[in-house]
Amino acid sequence: MNTVTLYHWEPNANSGKPMLALMEKGVAFDSHYIDMLNFDQHKPEYLAINPQGTIPAMTHGDRVLVESTAIMEYVNEEFDGPALMPADARARWRIRWWMKFMDQWLAPSFSMFGWKFFVGPNALAAHGQEKIEEQIARIPLPERQTAWRKAVFGLFSEQEMAESGRRISVGIRMLEEELGKREWLASDAYSLADVNGFNLAYAMPLSQPHLANDDLTPNIMRWLRAIYRRPATRDCWKLGRTPMASRVEILEQDYIPPKDESEGISSGVR
Amino acid sequence: MSMILYHGEPNGASLAVLAALGESGAEADCKAIDLLAGERHTIPGLTQAVARDMGVEGEGPVLVIDGEAMTESVFIAQFLDEAGANTLQPKDAYAHWQMLMWCRRVTERCAPAAAFLGCRAHARPSLDAAALGRIASPDLRARWEAVQAGDYPQAQVDDSLSKVRDTVKMVDDQLADDRDWLMGPLTIADFETFGWLVGMVDVVPDAFAGKDRAAAWMDRVRARPSVQAALARATVSAPQNSWAPGPEINRWG
Repeated sequence: MNTVTLYHWEPNANSGKPMLALMEKGVAFDSHYIDMLNFDQHKPEYLAINPQGTIPAMTHGDRVLVESTAIMEYVNEEFDGPALMPADARARWRIRWWMKFMDQWLAPSFSMFGWKFFVGPNALAAHGQEKIEEQIARIPLPERQTAWRKAVFGLFSEQEMAESGRRISVGIRMLEEELGKREWLASDAYSLADVNGFNLAYAMPLSQPHLANDDLTPNIMRWLRAIYRRPATRDCWKLGRTPMASRVEILEQDYIPPKDESEGISSGVR
Repeated sequence: MSMILYHGEPNGASLAVLAALGESGAEADCKAIDLLAGERHTIPGLTQAVARDMGVEGEGPVLVIDGEAMTESVFIAQFLDEAGANTLQPKDAYAHWQMLMWCRRVTERCAPAAAFLGCRAHARPSLDAAALGRIASPDLRARWEAVQAGDYPQAQVDDSLSKVRDTVKMVDDQLADDRDWLMGPLTIADFETFGWLVGMVDVVPDAFAGKDRAAAWMDRVRARPSVQAALARATVSAPQNSWAPGPEINRWG
Protein backbone atom coordinates (compact mmCIF):
# COMPACT_ATOMS: atom_id res chain seq x y z
CA MET A 1 0.00 0.00 0.00
CA ASN A 2 2.74 2.39 0.95
CA THR A 3 5.30 1.24 -1.53
CA VAL A 4 7.97 3.60 -2.76
CA THR A 5 8.65 3.93 -6.47
CA LEU A 6 11.50 6.02 -7.79
CA TYR A 7 11.61 7.15 -11.40
CA HIS A 8 15.23 7.93 -12.15
CA TRP A 9 17.95 8.04 -14.77
CA GLU A 10 21.59 7.20 -14.05
CA PRO A 11 23.00 7.37 -10.50
CA ASN A 12 24.34 10.83 -11.22
CA ALA A 13 23.38 14.43 -10.40
CA ASN A 14 19.68 14.83 -9.67
CA SER A 15 18.61 11.21 -10.16
CA GLY A 16 21.38 9.89 -7.96
CA LYS A 17 20.45 12.04 -4.96
CA PRO A 18 17.19 10.32 -3.95
CA MET A 19 18.57 6.92 -5.09
CA LEU A 20 21.49 7.19 -2.70
CA ALA A 21 19.40 8.71 0.10
CA LEU A 22 16.91 5.83 -0.08
CA MET A 23 19.73 3.29 -0.04
CA GLU A 24 21.47 4.96 2.91
CA LYS A 25 18.19 4.87 4.81
CA GLY A 26 17.65 1.22 3.90
CA VAL A 27 14.29 1.95 2.26
CA ALA A 28 13.23 -0.68 -0.28
CA PHE A 29 11.91 0.88 -3.48
CA ASP A 30 10.76 -0.07 -6.94
CA SER A 31 13.28 1.30 -9.39
CA HIS A 32 11.95 2.64 -12.70
CA TYR A 33 14.78 3.54 -15.04
CA ILE A 34 13.81 6.49 -17.24
CA ASP A 35 16.12 6.69 -20.24
CA MET A 36 16.48 10.44 -20.48
CA LEU A 37 18.37 10.28 -23.78
CA ASN A 38 15.54 8.20 -25.23
CA PHE A 39 13.22 10.99 -23.99
CA ASP A 40 11.21 8.56 -21.82
CA GLN A 41 10.40 11.54 -19.59
CA HIS A 42 8.24 13.10 -22.30
CA LYS A 43 6.19 9.95 -22.91
CA PRO A 44 2.56 9.85 -21.80
CA GLU A 45 3.10 7.06 -19.26
CA TYR A 46 5.66 9.16 -17.39
CA LEU A 47 3.78 12.45 -17.79
CA ALA A 48 0.85 10.70 -16.10
CA ILE A 49 3.12 10.37 -13.02
CA ASN A 50 4.90 13.72 -13.26
CA PRO A 51 3.24 16.20 -15.65
CA GLN A 52 6.32 18.43 -15.48
CA GLY A 53 8.37 15.75 -17.22
CA THR A 54 11.31 16.26 -14.88
CA ILE A 55 13.46 13.46 -13.48
CA PRO A 56 13.56 12.20 -10.79
CA ALA A 57 10.09 11.71 -9.33
CA MET A 58 9.05 9.52 -6.45
CA THR A 59 5.72 8.07 -5.43
CA HIS A 60 5.00 6.93 -1.90
CA GLY A 61 1.53 5.45 -1.71
CA ASP A 62 -0.60 8.09 -3.43
CA ARG A 63 1.88 10.88 -2.80
CA VAL A 64 3.91 12.19 -5.74
CA LEU A 65 7.14 14.04 -5.02
CA VAL A 66 9.51 15.90 -7.35
CA GLU A 67 12.76 17.91 -7.05
CA SER A 68 15.70 15.80 -5.96
CA THR A 69 16.90 17.72 -2.90
CA ALA A 70 13.37 18.17 -1.53
CA ILE A 71 12.71 14.46 -2.11
CA MET A 72 15.82 13.64 -0.08
CA GLU A 73 14.56 15.73 2.85
CA TYR A 74 11.24 13.88 2.65
CA VAL A 75 12.98 10.49 2.58
CA ASN A 76 15.05 11.41 5.61
CA GLU A 77 12.05 12.63 7.62
CA GLU A 78 9.53 10.00 6.59
CA PHE A 79 11.47 6.77 7.03
CA ASP A 80 13.33 5.03 9.81
CA GLY A 81 17.00 4.31 9.34
CA PRO A 82 20.16 6.32 9.90
CA ALA A 83 19.55 10.06 10.28
CA LEU A 84 20.90 12.01 7.32
CA MET A 85 20.27 15.35 9.03
CA PRO A 86 21.86 16.00 12.44
CA ALA A 87 20.02 17.22 15.54
CA ASP A 88 22.00 20.46 15.70
CA ALA A 89 20.02 23.29 14.06
CA ARG A 90 23.10 25.19 12.93
CA ALA A 91 24.51 22.11 11.19
CA ARG A 92 21.15 21.63 9.49
CA TRP A 93 21.32 25.24 8.28
CA ARG A 94 24.81 24.58 6.87
CA ILE A 95 23.63 21.43 5.08
CA ARG A 96 20.74 23.32 3.48
CA TRP A 97 23.03 26.20 2.49
CA TRP A 98 25.50 23.92 0.73
CA MET A 99 22.78 21.97 -1.03
CA LYS A 100 21.24 25.18 -2.42
CA PHE A 101 24.64 26.50 -3.43
CA MET A 102 25.41 23.27 -5.26
CA ASP A 103 21.94 22.87 -6.79
CA GLN A 104 21.57 26.43 -8.04
CA TRP A 105 25.02 27.89 -8.51
CA LEU A 106 27.50 25.11 -9.08
CA ALA A 107 25.61 22.14 -10.58
CA PRO A 108 24.22 24.04 -13.60
CA SER A 109 27.82 24.85 -14.56
CA PHE A 110 28.92 21.23 -14.22
CA SER A 111 25.85 20.28 -16.18
CA MET A 112 26.77 22.61 -19.04
CA PHE A 113 30.22 21.04 -19.29
CA GLY A 114 28.76 17.56 -18.86
CA TRP A 115 26.32 18.00 -21.74
CA LYS A 116 28.87 19.68 -23.99
CA PHE A 117 31.64 17.11 -23.62
CA PHE A 118 29.98 13.90 -22.43
CA VAL A 119 26.20 13.49 -22.40
CA GLY A 120 25.54 15.24 -25.71
CA PRO A 121 28.19 13.36 -27.73
CA ASN A 122 27.17 10.05 -26.09
CA ALA A 123 23.52 10.69 -26.89
CA LEU A 124 24.37 11.40 -30.51
CA ALA A 125 26.49 8.26 -30.73
CA ALA A 126 23.79 6.10 -29.16
CA HIS A 127 20.71 7.41 -30.93
CA GLY A 128 21.82 9.37 -33.99
CA GLN A 129 21.03 12.97 -34.85
CA GLU A 130 17.89 12.20 -36.85
CA LYS A 131 16.16 10.28 -34.09
CA ILE A 132 17.07 12.89 -31.49
CA GLU A 133 15.72 15.69 -33.70
CA GLU A 134 12.46 13.73 -34.04
CA GLN A 135 12.19 13.25 -30.29
CA ILE A 136 12.89 16.93 -29.59
CA ALA A 137 10.28 17.98 -32.15
CA ARG A 138 7.65 16.10 -30.10
CA ILE A 139 8.28 18.15 -26.92
CA PRO A 140 5.22 20.39 -26.54
CA LEU A 141 6.82 23.60 -25.24
CA PRO A 142 9.00 25.46 -27.80
CA GLU A 143 11.34 26.82 -25.11
CA ARG A 144 11.95 23.30 -23.83
CA GLN A 145 12.75 22.23 -27.40
CA THR A 146 15.30 25.04 -27.59
CA ALA A 147 16.85 24.05 -24.25
CA TRP A 148 17.13 20.40 -25.33
CA ARG A 149 18.73 21.28 -28.68
CA LYS A 150 21.18 23.50 -26.85
CA ALA A 151 22.06 20.70 -24.42
CA VAL A 152 22.24 17.73 -26.79
CA PHE A 153 24.09 19.54 -29.57
CA GLY A 154 26.30 21.58 -27.22
CA LEU A 155 25.13 24.96 -28.52
CA PHE A 156 26.41 26.99 -25.57
CA SER A 157 27.98 30.38 -26.19
CA GLU A 158 31.65 30.96 -25.43
CA GLN A 159 30.60 33.38 -22.72
CA GLU A 160 28.34 30.79 -21.09
CA MET A 161 31.07 28.15 -21.15
CA ALA A 162 33.62 30.60 -19.74
CA GLU A 163 31.33 31.56 -16.87
CA SER A 164 30.57 27.90 -16.15
CA GLY A 165 34.28 27.15 -16.19
CA ARG A 166 34.91 29.96 -13.72
CA ARG A 167 32.21 28.65 -11.40
CA ILE A 168 33.53 25.09 -11.53
CA SER A 169 36.98 26.34 -10.58
CA VAL A 170 35.65 28.50 -7.72
CA GLY A 171 33.28 25.77 -6.53
CA ILE A 172 36.04 23.14 -6.37
CA ARG A 173 38.21 25.55 -4.36
CA MET A 174 35.31 26.19 -1.96
CA LEU A 175 34.61 22.47 -1.50
CA GLU A 176 38.29 21.80 -0.80
CA GLU A 177 38.40 24.56 1.81
CA GLU A 178 35.19 23.45 3.50
CA LEU A 179 36.30 19.81 3.62
CA GLY A 180 39.47 20.99 5.33
CA LYS A 181 37.33 22.12 8.26
CA ARG A 182 35.66 18.80 9.07
CA GLU A 183 35.32 15.19 7.96
CA TRP A 184 32.08 15.71 6.03
CA LEU A 185 30.98 18.66 3.93
CA ALA A 186 28.59 20.54 6.20
CA SER A 187 28.36 18.69 9.52
CA ASP A 188 30.32 16.32 11.73
CA ALA A 189 28.20 13.36 10.61
CA TYR A 190 27.50 12.06 7.09
CA SER A 191 24.47 13.97 5.80
CA LEU A 192 22.30 14.86 2.82
CA ALA A 193 24.91 17.46 1.86
CA ASP A 194 27.41 14.63 1.27
CA VAL A 195 24.86 12.60 -0.71
CA ASN A 196 24.16 15.70 -2.81
CA GLY A 197 27.82 16.65 -3.17
CA PHE A 198 28.97 13.19 -4.19
CA ASN A 199 26.44 13.12 -7.02
CA LEU A 200 27.83 16.42 -8.24
CA ALA A 201 31.51 15.71 -7.71
CA TYR A 202 32.30 11.99 -8.04
CA ALA A 203 33.64 12.25 -11.58
CA MET A 204 35.60 15.47 -11.07
CA PRO A 205 39.00 13.72 -11.04
CA LEU A 206 38.16 12.57 -14.60
CA SER A 207 36.34 15.58 -15.93
CA GLN A 208 38.43 18.28 -14.20
CA PRO A 209 41.82 16.55 -13.84
CA HIS A 210 43.63 19.90 -13.67
CA LEU A 211 41.49 21.11 -10.75
CA ALA A 212 40.56 18.00 -8.73
CA ASN A 213 43.29 15.47 -7.89
CA ASP A 214 45.32 14.17 -4.95
CA ASP A 215 47.92 16.92 -5.16
CA LEU A 216 45.64 19.95 -5.43
CA THR A 217 42.52 18.82 -3.56
CA PRO A 218 43.45 16.14 -1.01
CA ASN A 219 40.41 16.84 1.14
CA ILE A 220 37.99 16.43 -1.76
CA MET A 221 39.69 13.15 -2.75
CA ARG A 222 39.58 11.83 0.84
CA TRP A 223 35.86 12.71 1.00
CA LEU A 224 34.97 11.20 -2.39
CA ARG A 225 36.76 7.93 -1.57
CA ALA A 226 35.10 7.73 1.87
CA ILE A 227 31.66 8.05 0.29
CA TYR A 228 32.57 5.60 -2.48
CA ARG A 229 33.50 3.00 0.15
CA ARG A 230 30.02 3.09 1.71
CA PRO A 231 27.92 0.00 0.87
CA ALA A 232 24.95 2.14 -0.13
CA THR A 233 27.08 3.99 -2.68
CA ARG A 234 28.31 0.70 -4.18
CA ASP A 235 24.75 -0.62 -4.46
CA CYS A 236 23.48 2.64 -5.90
CA TRP A 237 26.04 2.94 -8.67
CA LYS A 238 25.31 -0.67 -9.71
CA LEU A 239 21.97 0.64 -10.99
CA GLY A 240 23.79 2.63 -13.67
CA ARG A 241 23.48 1.38 -17.24
CA THR A 242 25.78 3.68 -19.20
CA PRO A 243 29.45 4.73 -19.17
CA MET A 244 28.37 7.74 -17.15
CA ALA A 245 27.92 5.76 -13.94
CA SER A 246 31.06 3.67 -14.40
CA ARG A 247 33.15 6.85 -14.18
CA VAL A 248 32.86 6.34 -10.41
CA GLU A 249 35.52 3.59 -10.67
CA ILE A 250 38.20 6.28 -10.90
CA LEU A 251 37.85 6.46 -7.12
CA GLU A 252 39.36 2.97 -6.80
CA GLN A 253 42.75 4.48 -7.65
CA ASP A 254 44.80 5.28 -4.55
CA TYR A 255 46.54 8.23 -6.13
CA ILE A 256 45.28 10.44 -8.91
CA PRO A 257 47.89 12.90 -10.19
CA PRO A 258 47.11 16.24 -11.81
CA LYS A 259 46.60 16.11 -15.55
CA ASP A 260 46.22 18.73 -18.20
CA GLU A 261 42.79 20.28 -18.70
CA SER A 262 42.69 18.88 -22.23
CA GLU A 263 42.79 15.31 -20.90
CA GLY A 264 39.40 15.85 -19.29
CA ILE A 265 38.04 16.87 -22.66
CA SER A 266 39.92 14.45 -24.89
CA SER A 267 39.05 11.43 -22.73
CA GLY A 268 35.45 12.13 -23.67
CA VAL A 269 34.40 11.97 -20.07
CA ARG A 270 34.40 15.59 -19.17
CA MET B 1 25.60 31.36 21.87
CA SER B 2 25.00 34.98 20.98
CA MET B 3 23.35 35.77 17.67
CA ILE B 4 23.53 39.01 15.70
CA LEU B 5 21.09 39.49 12.84
CA TYR B 6 22.29 42.04 10.30
CA HIS B 7 19.27 43.07 8.26
CA GLY B 8 18.23 45.64 5.70
CA GLU B 9 15.02 47.67 5.77
CA PRO B 10 12.06 45.34 6.47
CA ASN B 11 11.39 44.22 2.91
CA GLY B 12 12.16 41.11 0.87
CA ALA B 13 14.43 38.57 2.53
CA SER B 14 15.14 40.85 5.51
CA LEU B 15 11.43 41.17 6.28
CA ALA B 16 10.89 37.41 6.04
CA VAL B 17 13.69 36.68 8.50
CA LEU B 18 12.74 39.45 10.95
CA ALA B 19 9.18 38.08 11.02
CA ALA B 20 10.40 34.51 11.53
CA LEU B 21 12.62 35.74 14.35
CA GLY B 22 9.62 37.33 16.02
CA GLU B 23 7.52 34.20 15.68
CA SER B 24 10.31 31.95 16.93
CA GLY B 25 10.91 33.77 20.19
CA ALA B 26 14.63 33.20 19.65
CA GLU B 27 16.86 35.97 20.94
CA ALA B 28 19.06 37.80 18.49
CA ASP B 29 20.65 41.21 18.57
CA CYS B 30 19.20 42.94 15.48
CA LYS B 31 21.48 45.41 13.72
CA ALA B 32 20.11 47.43 10.80
CA ILE B 33 22.53 47.92 7.91
CA ASP B 34 22.20 49.83 4.64
CA LEU B 35 22.27 47.06 2.04
CA LEU B 36 22.29 49.57 -0.80
CA ALA B 37 25.45 51.16 0.61
CA GLY B 38 27.19 47.78 0.46
CA GLU B 39 27.35 47.49 4.26
CA ARG B 40 26.69 43.75 4.13
CA HIS B 41 30.20 43.39 2.77
CA THR B 42 31.83 45.13 5.74
CA ILE B 43 30.22 43.18 8.59
CA PRO B 44 32.87 42.97 11.34
CA GLY B 45 34.19 39.88 13.08
CA LEU B 46 33.43 37.22 10.50
CA THR B 47 35.73 34.22 10.72
CA GLN B 48 33.68 32.13 8.25
CA ALA B 49 32.32 34.38 5.52
CA VAL B 50 31.66 31.93 2.69
CA ALA B 51 27.86 32.06 3.05
CA ARG B 52 27.90 35.88 3.03
CA ASP B 53 30.27 35.97 0.09
CA MET B 54 28.75 33.25 -2.09
CA GLY B 55 25.09 33.03 -1.02
CA VAL B 56 22.69 32.63 -3.93
CA GLU B 57 20.21 35.11 -2.44
CA GLY B 58 22.33 38.21 -3.00
CA GLU B 59 21.86 41.13 -0.61
CA GLY B 60 19.80 39.36 2.06
CA PRO B 61 20.12 39.34 5.85
CA VAL B 62 23.11 37.76 7.58
CA LEU B 63 22.85 35.95 10.91
CA VAL B 64 26.20 35.73 12.68
CA ILE B 65 26.95 33.11 15.34
CA ASP B 66 30.48 32.55 16.64
CA GLY B 67 31.87 34.42 13.63
CA GLU B 68 30.05 32.21 11.11
CA ALA B 69 27.91 34.11 8.61
CA MET B 70 24.58 32.40 7.90
CA THR B 71 22.53 33.43 4.86
CA GLU B 72 19.53 32.44 2.68
CA SER B 73 16.33 33.72 4.24
CA VAL B 74 14.38 30.45 4.16
CA PHE B 75 17.21 28.56 5.84
CA ILE B 76 17.79 31.29 8.46
CA ALA B 77 14.05 31.19 9.18
CA GLN B 78 14.20 27.39 9.53
CA PHE B 79 17.18 27.72 11.86
CA LEU B 80 15.44 30.33 14.06
CA ASP B 81 12.30 28.21 14.14
CA GLU B 82 14.20 25.06 15.08
CA ALA B 83 16.27 26.90 17.69
CA GLY B 84 13.13 28.53 19.06
CA ALA B 85 9.39 27.85 19.25
CA ASN B 86 9.41 25.33 16.38
CA THR B 87 5.92 26.23 15.13
CA LEU B 88 6.58 27.44 11.58
CA GLN B 89 7.25 24.12 9.80
CA PRO B 90 4.81 21.23 9.31
CA LYS B 91 5.74 18.14 11.31
CA ASP B 92 4.34 15.77 8.68
CA ALA B 93 7.07 14.98 6.15
CA TYR B 94 4.83 15.42 3.10
CA ALA B 95 3.41 18.74 4.32
CA HIS B 96 6.99 19.82 5.02
CA TRP B 97 8.00 18.86 1.47
CA GLN B 98 5.09 20.95 0.17
CA MET B 99 6.27 23.94 2.21
CA LEU B 100 9.85 23.54 0.97
CA MET B 101 8.65 23.28 -2.64
CA TRP B 102 6.55 26.41 -2.20
CA CYS B 103 9.50 28.30 -0.76
CA ARG B 104 11.69 27.13 -3.64
CA ARG B 105 9.21 28.43 -6.19
CA VAL B 106 9.27 31.77 -4.40
CA THR B 107 13.05 32.00 -3.96
CA GLU B 108 13.91 30.69 -7.43
CA ARG B 109 11.25 32.40 -9.53
CA CYS B 110 9.61 35.25 -7.62
CA ALA B 111 12.59 36.59 -5.64
CA PRO B 112 14.94 37.21 -8.61
CA ALA B 113 12.08 38.85 -10.49
CA ALA B 114 10.98 41.03 -7.56
CA ALA B 115 14.54 42.11 -6.76
CA PHE B 116 15.13 42.94 -10.44
CA LEU B 117 11.91 44.98 -10.78
CA GLY B 118 12.27 46.54 -7.32
CA CYS B 119 15.80 47.71 -8.09
CA ARG B 120 14.66 49.01 -11.47
CA ALA B 121 11.94 51.09 -9.82
CA HIS B 122 13.70 52.27 -6.70
CA ALA B 123 17.41 51.42 -6.26
CA ARG B 124 19.94 54.14 -7.14
CA PRO B 125 23.17 52.97 -5.50
CA SER B 126 26.52 54.64 -6.02
CA LEU B 127 29.20 52.29 -4.77
CA ASP B 128 32.72 53.39 -5.63
CA ALA B 129 35.34 51.03 -7.03
CA ALA B 130 36.64 50.14 -3.56
CA ALA B 131 33.18 49.21 -2.31
CA LEU B 132 32.44 47.17 -5.43
CA GLY B 133 35.79 45.47 -4.94
CA ARG B 134 34.71 44.25 -1.52
CA ILE B 135 31.93 42.17 -3.13
CA ALA B 136 33.63 38.78 -3.28
CA SER B 137 31.41 37.10 -5.87
CA PRO B 138 31.92 38.38 -9.44
CA ASP B 139 28.40 37.40 -10.47
CA LEU B 140 26.84 39.35 -7.57
CA ARG B 141 29.17 42.25 -8.39
CA ALA B 142 27.95 42.12 -11.99
CA ARG B 143 24.36 42.45 -10.76
CA TRP B 144 25.39 45.52 -8.74
CA GLU B 145 27.08 47.05 -11.77
CA ALA B 146 23.97 46.46 -13.86
CA VAL B 147 21.81 48.19 -11.23
CA GLN B 148 24.24 51.12 -11.00
CA ALA B 149 24.27 51.44 -14.79
CA GLY B 150 20.48 51.20 -15.02
CA ASP B 151 20.91 48.19 -17.30
CA TYR B 152 17.55 46.41 -17.34
CA PRO B 153 17.09 44.45 -20.59
CA GLN B 154 13.48 44.44 -21.76
CA ALA B 155 13.38 40.64 -22.09
CA GLN B 156 14.24 40.32 -18.39
CA VAL B 157 11.70 42.98 -17.47
CA ASP B 158 8.98 41.06 -19.30
CA ASP B 159 10.10 37.74 -17.83
CA SER B 160 10.17 39.22 -14.32
CA LEU B 161 6.73 40.79 -14.69
CA SER B 162 5.31 37.45 -15.70
CA LYS B 163 6.98 35.69 -12.76
CA VAL B 164 5.52 38.18 -10.27
CA ARG B 165 2.07 37.81 -11.84
CA ASP B 166 2.40 34.01 -11.69
CA THR B 167 3.32 34.15 -8.01
CA VAL B 168 0.36 36.34 -7.05
CA LYS B 169 -1.93 34.00 -8.99
CA MET B 170 -0.36 31.00 -7.27
CA VAL B 171 -1.08 32.62 -3.88
CA ASP B 172 -4.65 33.48 -4.85
CA ASP B 173 -5.30 29.95 -6.16
CA GLN B 174 -3.79 28.36 -3.07
CA LEU B 175 -6.27 30.27 -0.90
CA ALA B 176 -9.29 29.14 -2.94
CA ASP B 177 -10.46 26.75 -0.20
CA ASP B 178 -10.77 29.65 2.26
CA ARG B 179 -7.69 28.71 4.23
CA ASP B 180 -6.06 31.50 6.21
CA TRP B 181 -2.45 30.65 5.45
CA LEU B 182 -0.70 29.29 2.39
CA MET B 183 0.05 25.83 3.78
CA GLY B 184 -3.02 25.68 6.02
CA PRO B 185 -1.18 26.40 9.29
CA LEU B 186 1.02 29.51 9.46
CA THR B 187 4.51 28.66 8.15
CA ILE B 188 7.75 30.17 6.87
CA ALA B 189 6.14 30.12 3.41
CA ASP B 190 3.76 32.94 4.44
CA PHE B 191 6.57 35.24 5.54
CA GLU B 192 8.90 34.42 2.65
CA THR B 193 6.14 35.02 0.10
CA PHE B 194 4.87 38.18 1.78
CA GLY B 195 8.40 39.58 2.03
CA TRP B 196 8.97 39.37 -1.71
CA LEU B 197 5.46 40.39 -2.81
CA VAL B 198 4.66 43.33 -0.54
CA GLY B 199 6.94 45.64 -2.51
CA MET B 200 5.46 44.50 -5.81
CA VAL B 201 1.97 45.89 -5.07
CA ASP B 202 2.95 49.32 -6.40
CA VAL B 203 5.52 48.10 -8.96
CA VAL B 204 3.28 45.53 -10.72
CA PRO B 205 -0.24 46.66 -9.73
CA ASP B 206 -1.98 44.65 -12.43
CA ALA B 207 -0.66 41.43 -10.86
CA PHE B 208 -2.87 42.08 -7.84
CA ALA B 209 -5.99 43.31 -9.66
CA GLY B 210 -8.97 41.14 -8.75
CA LYS B 211 -6.84 38.92 -6.51
CA ASP B 212 -8.98 39.53 -3.44
CA ARG B 213 -7.95 36.39 -1.61
CA ALA B 214 -4.27 37.26 -2.01
CA ALA B 215 -4.95 40.82 -0.82
CA ALA B 216 -6.83 39.59 2.27
CA TRP B 217 -3.99 37.14 3.01
CA MET B 218 -1.45 39.97 2.78
CA ASP B 219 -3.52 41.93 5.30
CA ARG B 220 -3.51 38.93 7.64
CA VAL B 221 0.25 38.48 7.37
CA ARG B 222 0.82 42.21 7.85
CA ALA B 223 -1.31 42.14 11.01
CA ARG B 224 0.86 39.50 12.71
CA PRO B 225 2.65 41.07 15.69
CA SER B 226 5.93 39.65 14.33
CA VAL B 227 5.46 41.48 11.04
CA GLN B 228 4.36 44.67 12.78
CA ALA B 229 7.48 44.52 14.95
CA ALA B 230 9.63 43.96 11.87
CA LEU B 231 8.03 46.88 10.02
CA ALA B 232 8.54 49.07 13.09
CA ARG B 233 12.30 48.64 12.56
CA ALA B 234 12.09 50.63 9.32
CA THR B 235 14.20 53.77 9.17
CA VAL B 236 12.41 55.02 6.04
CA SER B 237 8.74 55.80 5.49
CA ALA B 238 8.21 53.22 2.74
CA PRO B 239 10.42 50.17 3.45
CA GLN B 240 8.65 48.19 0.73
CA ASN B 241 10.57 50.39 -1.74
CA SER B 242 13.97 49.38 -0.32
CA TRP B 243 15.68 47.01 -2.75
CA ALA B 244 19.21 45.86 -3.41
CA PRO B 245 20.62 43.36 -5.93
CA GLY B 246 19.04 39.97 -5.27
CA PRO B 247 19.30 36.42 -6.59
CA GLU B 248 20.40 35.93 -10.18
CA ILE B 249 17.91 34.96 -12.83
CA ASN B 250 18.33 31.27 -13.72
CA ARG B 251 21.11 30.88 -16.33
CA TRP B 252 19.29 27.96 -18.00
CA GLY B 253 16.09 29.97 -18.48
